[in-house]
Amino acid sequence: MLLVLSEEQREHLGCLPRLGAAAVGELGRLAVELLRRGGAPRALEAAARKLDVSVDTIQHGIEGLTYLLTESSKLMISETDFQDSVHVLGFSDELNKLLLQLYLDNRKEIRSILSELAPKLPSYHNLEWRLDVQLASRSLRQQIKPAVTIKLHLNQNGDQTAQVLQTDPSTLLHLIQQLEQALGEMKTNHCRRIVRNMK
Amino acid sequence: MRFRFCGDLDCPDWVLAEISTLAKISSVKLKLICAQVLKDLLGEAIDYEKILKLTSDAKLESGDVKATIAVLSFILSSAAKHNVDSESLSSELQQLGLPKEHATGLCRSYEEKQSPLQDSLRACSLRLSQLDSVSWRVDYTLSSSELQEVNEPLVHLMFGVRDRDSGVTETVPMAVSADKFRVLLAELKQAQALMKTLL
Repeated sequence: MLLVLSEEQREHLGCLPRLGAAAVGELGRLAVELLRRGGAPRALEAAARKLDVSVDTIQHGIEGLTYLLTESSKLMISETDFQDSVHVLGFSDELNKLLLQLYLDNRKEIRSILSELAPKLPSYHNLEWRLDVQLASRSLRQQIKPAVTIKLHLNQNGDQTAQVLQTDPSTLLHLIQQLEQALGEMKTNHCRRIVRNMK
Repeated sequence: MRFRFCGDLDCPDWVLAEISTLAKISSVKLKLICAQVLKDLLGEAIDYEKILKLTSDAKLESGDVKATIAVLSFILSSAAKHNVDSESLSSELQQLGLPKEHATGLCRSYEEKQSPLQDSLRACSLRLSQLDSVSWRVDYTLSSSELQEVNEPLVHLMFGVRDRDSGVTETVPMAVSADKFRVLLAELKQAQALMKTLL
């Protein structure tokens, strides 16, 4: 699968051949830092001064490199495909090899960073429960009505929410039975075959 | 094997694994560490430095020290939760492989603090909200825009309700007419009489 780079991105990356191999290495390192930790304007300025080009050129170069790296890591393209995609830019062989090396070295880390960006459903944090018996109410005395009150603590992207639920014991038993059936599904032949194939 | 201090269930694997770590510490030092863990369970600050000093003789790694604290917390809070007396706890711990002096030392510390521990566990049980304060005021309405001579008493009530999770106290104000207030008071007195019969 080939990467398609837009005109603007080609322009951004077009500044790379002029800067030389060492500079490209430096820009590559800054691009990976940008993916790991976010923007670092002072590092950009320092690099611009060292390489004697404007901050804008450096910014564009890094943005182009970041796009190249994230798209290739996202699609997990092979070496040949990467080389073909970069070949379109018309860089020297040395530069192409450098970019390929940059891609292969950082691919795994970039993939793990990208995997954290997927949307997540609220996840289980804690469960508190309480068993009560209602003995009387304003309308009716001499009752015996058991109830289980549950507080489900959930965690979503660092926010904690709590959901309060109440059920009678027979519904709770039914719930437990359904959940145990769900766990039991893992032991069926169908699931075992899939798990075996995934490993 | 069913254990009473685990609520008549099997003992968790990790507890079994850490019993051997507990046996490495001398029984005197174990009793002192128990005292620290009990302080933590009762809500006071734990002195981690002291525990590190006490475990330094047994040459435990930092992971083992944390595991020791976790196992002791589990055993003590679980025993208090299921209202296990210290004799049964001692015999069950010895069944798990804890040496006799260690078990007796642990159970003696447990016995001293069993009631306060159960009280503090009762206090942090699930509770949805708590009534903090009630304040009231009786007014006498003379006249209003609707009717020139009203001449009716009015009770203003303000309940301070504390949310368990955030600790924020919300105030709920309400105004009650004389008749409604009489009904409210009568019903609440009946509920109080019912509660007295249960105590």
